[in-house]
This record gives sequence, C-alpha cells and structure tokens, in this order.
Amino acid sequence: MRFLVCIKQVPDSTVRVKVGSDGRSVASEGITWSISPYDEYAIELALERKDADPGTIVSVVTVGPARSRDALRQALAMGCDDATLVNGPEDLAGLDVAKALAGVVTELKPDVVLCGKQASDDDQGLVGPALAEALGWPHVGMLTKAVPAGSGIELWREVEGGHEVWKATPPVVGLVHKSEKEPRYPSLPGIMKAKKKEIPEKDLAGLGVTPGAAKIEVVAMEPPPQRGGGKIFKLDGDPKGVAEQVAKALHEEAKVI
Amino acid sequence: MKILVIAEWQKDTLRRVSLEIATKAASFGDVEVIAVRSRGGGPGEDQGRYTPVAWSSAVAEKAKASGAQLVLVGATLNGRDLAARTAAKLGWAYAADCTEVTPKDGAVEAKRPMYAGKVRATVKVPLPAIVSVRAGAWTLPAGASAPSVTEIAPAADDPRLAFERFEPTASSGKRVSLAEARAIVSAGRGMKGPENWKLVEDLADALGAATGASRAVTDAGWRPNEEQVGQTGKTVTPDLYVALGISGAIQHLAGMTSSKVIVAVNKDPDADIFKIADYGIVGDLFEFVPAFTEAVKKIKGNG
Repeated sequence: MRFLVCIKQVPDSTVRVKVGSDGRSVASEGITWSISPYDEYAIELALERKDADPGTIVSVVTVGPARSRDALRQALAMGCDDATLVNGPEDLAGLDVAKALAGVVTELKPDVVLCGKQASDDDQGLVGPALAEALGWPHVGMLTKAVPAGSGIELWREVEGGHEVWKATPPVVGLVHKSEKEPRYPSLPGIMKAKKKEIPEKDLAGLGVTPGAAKIEVVAMEPPPQRGGGKIFKLDGDPKGVAEQVAKALHEEAKVI
Repeated sequence: MKILVIAEWQKDTLRRVSLEIATKAASFGDVEVIAVRSRGGGPGEDQGRYTPVAWSSAVAEKAKASGAQLVLVGATLNGRDLAARTAAKLGWAYAADCTEVTPKDGAVEAKRPMYAGKVRATVKVPLPAIVSVRAGAWTLPAGASAPSVTEIAPAADDPRLAFERFEPTASSGKRVSLAEARAIVSAGRGMKGPENWKLVEDLADALGAATGASRAVTDAGWRPNEEQVGQTGKTVTPDLYVALGISGAIQHLAGMTSSKVIVAVNKDPDADIFKIADYGIVGDLFEFVPAFTEAVKKIKGNG
C-alpha cells in the first residue's frame, strides 16, 4: 500500500508564542520550527504500516516556504521514503493548498492520504477535508488507527464515548487525531540516510494552481486575557476548613456552583 | 442578510450549541435553521450517522438554493468536519472554532484562538462564508425557545467508505461531554494511578461536571484519549475548571486557559498552574478533594 502524508511546519509546541510588532502576526524571533503535532501522529500511523509490511511506501509532502524543507528532512529521518516540497507563500489560502496537494496526489497516486486533523498554527482544520473534496475522495476525520483489512483498510474515528470503525476501499483521505504510540524519534542511520536524499521541488503553477481562493485574513492578534492574582490557600492541616472556604468562594464570589 | 444555521440533534432535543447559535444569529438577519437527518439511524444514533460526503453535498445544495451569505454551525466534532468540507465544495471562506462573530461592513469579523489557544486573533471573513462557532461562545438567554427546524436529507454516500461498527470506550459513562460541559474536573499525574480516579469522579458528580485529564495521564493509559485537555487534545472553555495534580505544562494551559474560573490543587507551590488559577490550593489533593466534594454537596444541597 502506498501512503502520502501531508505535513506543515509550525512553531514547536513548547515555544511561547508572542504577538509580533505589527500586531497581527506572531513574532518570528526565537521560534523553533517543527512538524505540526497531528502531522507527526499521521507519519507515525503510516510508518507503523511500513513496519508491518516493508513493501509499504510512505511519501511526505508539504506546501510552504523554503524553511519547510527541514520538516521534510525530519520526516525522512523518521523513516519516510521520499519527500516533495511545493513552494508556496505562508499566507496561501487553505483551499489553494488543498488544490496544490491534490496535484501532487495525482502524480504520486497513493492509496491512502493522511493529514493531521489541523495544523497547530492556524488551527483551522480546513486543508484535509478540502483536499478530499478536491480529489473527489471520501474522508474520515479524528483518526487514531488505520489497519489493513482484506483489500481495504479499517479507519478508527474517535467520537464521544468510543470509536466509529469505517471500512474504506482506497483511495481515501484520513485526518489524524492521534497515533497509539508516540511518534518515533529519528534514528542515527535514519538521519544519515535522510541527508543524502534529494527533495524535489514543485511550484504552484506547475500543479495548475493560481492562488486566489476565498480565505480569512487576520487583522489583529493579541495574547489571551491575562490571568493571575488568584487566591492561594494552604491546607495547613485543615483540609475541611479550606475546602469549605473554597466551596463558599465558588458559590458566593465566582457564582459557578 | 440570509443566514443558514446547521443544527445538530442529541436524541430529540437540539444540542445546546445549536440553540445558542440559532438564538444569537436572529440578531444578524433572516435565519433558517436546518438539520440533516439520515434514515435508519440505529440506537443511539440521534440523527443517523454523520458522513462527510453525503452531508456536505446536501448542505452545499441547500446553501446555494437558499441564497444564504453566511452558514453557521457549532464547532463540534462533526460540525467542524462538515463545515470544512462544505466550504471547500462551495469555494467559500471558512473560519473555524470562533468565539465571537459580528457582521461588519459587508463581511464578518470573528475572533478565534490560534496557535493552540496561545493567541487570540481577530479575522475578517469575506462573504459568502461558513463559520463554526465554539460551544458557550454565546450565552443562551433564559427562556430561549427552540427554533423551528427544516430537516434535509443527506445526498448519496460514497460507496468506497462504509460504517462497520462502534467500539465503545470501556470507561466512558453517563457524564456530559467535555466540549460542551459547563464544569470540568481534570486530573494529572498527581493522582498517582488510575485506581484513584474515584476521587475525581465523586467530585465531578457533585459538581455535575465532565472529567478531563492531562496528556501525561492519557499517554500512560490511565484514562482514555478522548479525555485529554490541551494542545493535542481538547480545547475547553467551561465556567469552572478544576485541575487536580496537574503541574500546568504550556500545552495543557493552552487548552483550558479561557475557562471562566480555574481552581487548581497541587502540592508544589511553584507549579505553573497556579499562575493562571483563580483559586489555588497548595497541599495534598488526597486530603483536600474528599473534603471539597463534601463541601460542594453541602452547598448544592442547600440550593
């Protein structure tokens, strides 16, 4: 089976994101870039299929600026077979990103396309469903497991109270929420191998994409409302007394119970 | 402006978030509330099983036929999925998980969290557009009446994808869902082991709350993944968030920092969770929580 994992490079989740001086974007100083966490889970899900069946091919693709090449290199080091970089501006509309990815899908002909359910920068969750729509393929969201079954693949979708299990006859798009195992770290041989691999580049025009799809525009950005200055209680051997004070405060001051 | 609200059913009643949106949207213009209902939904399938292809096709057709400029839907699991695919089908702008939506100068201005809640953005959404709105973003006025709902049938499904079965999570029970809960009791590694969760559940029951967990806890398999609050789990905005034995990693804080009131219990006085807590209790949670559960019951009992 052939997998294509679509990834995005985003600020690492441990980075303290700050609003930039223009007041409508994130300050770029001091940012460490990583593969978006949900995309890492998607890579892990695909690589687990490759662990089980070495004939599996796992390709990876991203649409983004030149720095995104590092994210592809990281994916290769984790064990992906090949990588493609589509050069695109950072503010490309999600619908245009999906069209560009659809162009790459048409060339690589994967059976299963996996995307993280959303990128942890804009948190839109648009590109995956839009890619499925552009391809005319069905999709399954909130994926936590993908298991080959007969000629098809079982896709587990996390919902309230459990999982829906869907049987897909490829091609299909899966939007990954989580993998059962933590995404693997690149091995040293993996890193060495990844360094030697060519990463072909494509441009939007070559994929038949003329940017201009409808999109939202960020006009202002601010940190979430500051919190703090809360009341601190120490138990000091009187849990019952403190518990009653806190419950009373929640009832009378905060009015939430 | 003509607005289409896509409602979701939960058994025989509309989901709270659908009611919130339908009620608020009436102040923006001419609202029609629709719901997709599949035939032959089995037990527990309130409105039939959601399938992206069939539902988005039906909603897109309806949106075009109705002349709507704005489609609003709850930012639920299915709502977000449906909204994104429908926006792609129509080629409309899409804004996900918004906490404020205001029509302005022939467009819509919306506020939404980005970077996993680490910043709040104001976005301009050109019309026509689809916007998914977070549960609790709009307070439901007391005595708000249920709107009349136009039911539409899903279009044909893609034969390449078929529902096989439902696998329930072992520990999932009767509690309210995290995303829509007005109170949440969340617990972390400070609980020491899954066998101590009765403490969490007793407090949640006393508060009428949902139960959540830190990533450390779901990764360790102490609790199911669906309870995880934080960057790679759920983002929640309840009125009351109680954090038990959670130190407050930045990824966890991102998922709950917009809660109205935060109570934190931790034995480490320097834990980051105290920086955002409205009420912080420094001490042994195994001593505090049972006493707190009793105190809550007493207050609730007195009405």
